[in-house]
Amino acid sequence: MIQKFLGAFIVALASALVLSGPVAATPAKEAPWLPEAAAYRLTLFLGNLEPLPWDDVGTAWAEPYRGSEFSVGALAWLDGNSDIGPAPLLDAITREDRQAVFAEATRLIARRIDEELDRAVMADDPARAQQAVRTARELYRSFADGIAAADPDASRRIGLAWLELNSSTGSAGVLGAGATPASRKTMEAAREVISLYLAENYLVDDFAPRRTLSALPETVVLSGRTIEVPPSLPPGFDIFDQDPLPRLVLNFEEQGIDETDLPLVAYGDMLFDSAQIFGNPAQGLGVACSTCHNRSDVNQRLFIPGASHQPGAIDVDGAFFNPIFNDRRDDPIDIPSLRGLRFTGPYGRDGRFASLRDFTRNVIVNEFGGDEPTPFMMDALVAYMLEFDFLPNSMLTTDGRLTDTAQAAARRGEEIFNRPFAGLGDRSCASCHVPDANFLDRQAHDIGSVAPGYEGARAGALDTPTLLGTAYTAPYFHDGSLPTLAAVVDWFDETKSLGLTEDDRADLTAYLETVGAADEPYEAFDTENTAFRLAFAELTTFASTIDTLLPRRDAEHILLLTDTVAADLSADASTMSNLPARPEVYALAERLAAVGAAVRVEDWEAAEASWTAFKSEADAIEERAF
Amino acid sequence: MPVHLTRRTIMTLIGAGAVSLATPLAAQDDALRLAFIPQENPEKLLGDIEAITGWLASEIGVPVEGFVTIDHAAAVEALRNGDADISFMGALPFVLAEAEIGAVPLLSEVYRDAPSYTGRIFVRRDSGIRALADLRGRDIAFADPISESGYLYPLAEFVEAGLVEGPGEAEAFFGRIFFAGGYQQAMQAMAEGLVDAAGASQYADLLLTPQQQAEVAWIAESAPIPSHLVIARPGLDAALRDRFVDAMLRLNEPEHRNKLGFLYGPDGYVRADGAAYDGVRDMAKQYGLLR
Repeated sequence: MIQKFLGAFIVALASALVLSGPVAATPAKEAPWLPEAAAYRLTLFLGNLEPLPWDDVGTAWAEPYRGSEFSVGALAWLDGNSDIGPAPLLDAITREDRQAVFAEATRLIARRIDEELDRAVMADDPARAQQAVRTARELYRSFADGIAAADPDASRRIGLAWLELNSSTGSAGVLGAGATPASRKTMEAAREVISLYLAENYLVDDFAPRRTLSALPETVVLSGRTIEVPPSLPPGFDIFDQDPLPRLVLNFEEQGIDETDLPLVAYGDMLFDSAQIFGNPAQGLGVACSTCHNRSDVNQRLFIPGASHQPGAIDVDGAFFNPIFNDRRDDPIDIPSLRGLRFTGPYGRDGRFASLRDFTRNVIVNEFGGDEPTPFMMDALVAYMLEFDFLPNSMLTTDGRLTDTAQAAARRGEEIFNRPFAGLGDRSCASCHVPDANFLDRQAHDIGSVAPGYEGARAGALDTPTLLGTAYTAPYFHDGSLPTLAAVVDWFDETKSLGLTEDDRADLTAYLETVGAADEPYEAFDTENTAFRLAFAELTTFASTIDTLLPRRDAEHILLLTDTVAADLSADASTMSNLPARPEVYALAERLAAVGAAVRVEDWEAAEASWTAFKSEADAIEERAF
Repeated sequence: MPVHLTRRTIMTLIGAGAVSLATPLAAQDDALRLAFIPQENPEKLLGDIEAITGWLASEIGVPVEGFVTIDHAAAVEALRNGDADISFMGALPFVLAEAEIGAVPLLSEVYRDAPSYTGRIFVRRDSGIRALADLRGRDIAFADPISESGYLYPLAEFVEAGLVEGPGEAEAFFGRIFFAGGYQQAMQAMAEGLVDAAGASQYADLLLTPQQQAEVAWIAESAPIPSHLVIARPGLDAALRDRFVDAMLRLNEPEHRNKLGFLYGPDGYVRADGAAYDGVRDMAKQYGLLR
C-alpha cells in the first residue's frame, strides 16, 4: 500500500517520537495529535513554565493547536466524540489550580482511552474496531514517553497488548474475501492489560503533588525514584529548517578558499550546528545555534508554544531552556539575521554586548544552559561567525547607492530615504541606516517602538539594524510587530509625522525592498544536488578538523565533534533521495563514531585507523550522497 | 455492506462544505462521485478532497463530489451499489473488486519513476537476524491481512525460500504473527523490539524516526508489486470516464503537480495496465482470496 507510505508519512512518527533515544540536530516531524491529546501535552508543557501562562492553558483546550489538521479544539472535539465531560478540568483551569488541572486532564485522557477501548471491544465489525483501537492508541501517546522512561517492562507489555488487540479485531476482507472473525476473548484480555495500568497510574483519585508536570506513571512517582523523561516539545512546535533554504554566504568560500583548510573555522561551523554545546532541554531536543540562525539567516518558521508569540520569535530568557536564567518577563524577540555579523556589533537587540564573544558565551551558558565553553570553542565559533557575509545584491553599490538596475520607484525612494525630516529631528532615515556603513550606525536609539516596562523607564533604545537582506527577514522590529517593509514605512510616517504621500510611501518601500534584496537568496536544489548533498559536504568538512585535533591528542574537542557529526550524518541519511546509498552513509557514521570510541579509551592508533578509513570511505561515497 | 459512518468521521462533516461522508447522490451520468480511503486524519482528507474535486469539476465540466469511506472494502461496496463512480484503491482490493463487480482500472500511481514498488522484511540491525531462516520461531508483525506489500508479498518470500509451506501455514514457522494495523505500527513494533521482524512496503522504514531508520535493515525483498490505482465502477459513461482520466493525467504537468498532495501524494499517474496486476491476481488466488 504505497499510498499509505507517503500519505501517512508524518503519521508514521506518532509513537516513535516520544520513544526516541539520543536526539541529533535533525529533528523529526511529528505526527498530528488528536485534539485532546494535544491539549494535554500542551498543558503539561505550559504548566511547567513560570509564571504559568493560564490564558494559554485555556486556549490549549479551546482552540486547535498551531498547525493542527483538526479544525476544532479539544473541547469541541470531545463534545462531538466523547461522553466524557470536561467540566472538572475547566473548573480547575478557572481556579488556576495547577495540581487540579494536572489531575483532571490526566484522568480525562485515561478515560478517553478506556472509552475508545470499550468501543473497540463492542464494535460489530472489524473496521470500526480497528478505528477505535487506532484512536485509543493515539491517545495513549499522551502517556507513552513517561511510561517508556519510567517503566520499560510495562511499556513493552502494553506495546504487545496494542499489537494483540489490533490483531484480534479480525478483518472484513473485501466483499467477504479474506474475512477473518474477531477474537473477543483475546481483545478483552489485551484491553485489560492497558486498562489496568491506566487505572493504577492515570485514573487515581489523588495524584501526588507534582513539582514538574509530566506523563510519568503515578506508581513510579510514589516510589520516589528519579526518572529522566527525554525532553520534548509540545504539539504545535516547529524547529525545522527553512523552506526554501537560505543561501549561506561565507567570505572565505566566495574567495575560493576551502573550509577544510581553515580548521578553526570548520570546527566553529560544527559547533554552530551542535546541540551538544547547550544543556538540556535544548541538547536533548537537538536545538543548536543554527536552529534559530540556520544558514546565518533567520529561521522564520521557528515556533515553540509558551516561548514564541509568533513564528520566527522566541523568548530565550524564559522558563523553558534554562530556569536559572528565567527573567520572568514575557518578552519574546524576533530572531535577528546574522549576515554580515562582523559589521553589525554591538550585539543583542539593544546592543547590550559590545563583544561577539561575550554575546555568544551568554547564549551558550545562560540562555541555553550549556557548560562553560573552552577558549578553543569560543575562538572557533567566533572565527566561523565572522565569516558570515551579506547576500550579494547587484542593485546596490558597495557604498550603498543604487545601481542602474534598480527601478525608478526605488530611485525616488532613495531620495526620500536621504531627505531630512523635522519628525526625525532634522535627520533622515539614512542618518541611522548609513548607506556606506552597511545601512547601520552601530548605535542604539529609542524610536518609541518599545513599550516602557515601568513608569519613567529609559529602556527603549535598540541597536540600529542593517537593512541589507531584509527582503527575506520579515516580520520587522524587535518584536516582529510589523509584517512588511511597507508597514515599517507606514509606522515611521505615522509616528514621526513625516507627511509622506501615498506615492512617497510606495517609493520608499520600493527603495527598502531594493536595498534588502539579493541576487540569489536561496539555495537551488535539483535531482542530485539535494539538501542531503549539502549536509554531507558540511558534515564531512566538519570532520576534517580531526586532521588537526588528532595529532594534538585533543580528546575533548574530538569527542564533541564525533558525537555531533556521527549522529547528524546518520540522522540526515533519512532525508536522502538516493535510498540505496543510505546503508553506506550509516556505515560512514559508524566509522566516525568509532573514532570517538577509540579516543574515549585513549586508543590513538585505533582512532587514527578509523579516521583514515572514514576519509577514504567518504570520498568513495561522495558521488552517491544525494 | 453500507458505507460505515463513525462518530469521528461524522464529526468531520461539520463545516466540511461540499464534501461528505453522507449518502451520495443517486447515480447519474452528469456528475462524478469519488470514494476516498482515509489514510490519515479524515478531517484533513476532507479538506484535500474539497480542493481536488473542485479542480476536477472545473476540468471535466460536471459536478464532482468526494466522500470518505471507512476502508477499501466500503469503497468497493460503494462502487457496487452505484454510490461511487470512481475510487482510489489498493492493488489487492482492486483485483478482488474486479472479480466480484467488474471494476475497471483507470490510473496507476507513480512513485520514484515507477508504477510499482516492493515489500520487504525488516529487522533490527543488532538482532543478529541475517536471513529469513533466522526468523524460525520468532515473532513478526505485518500491516494488515488484506495488504499486498504489508502481508501477501512479504510472506510469499518465506514460501519462496521453502520456509513456509504455503498460505495458511505461516504459523508453523513463526512464533507469533501480528497484524499491527499499518506499516508504521508494524515497523514501530519491530524497531522497539516488541517483535523480531516486520513485513511492510519497501519505503516503510522512512516511517520511523531518523535515529530508528539507522537501526533497521531489510533481509528480503519481494517481486515488484503494481502500485495503487484509481478504478471505476462498471457501466460508468465511457466519455465521462475518459474526461476524468485526461484530467487526472494533467496532474503530471508542472503547473498542476502541487495538487498531487491532495491525493495521497504520488509523484504522478499513468494509465493503468490491467495486465500489470496479473501477479496480484495470482497471489490472491494462492491465498484463496480469488477463485
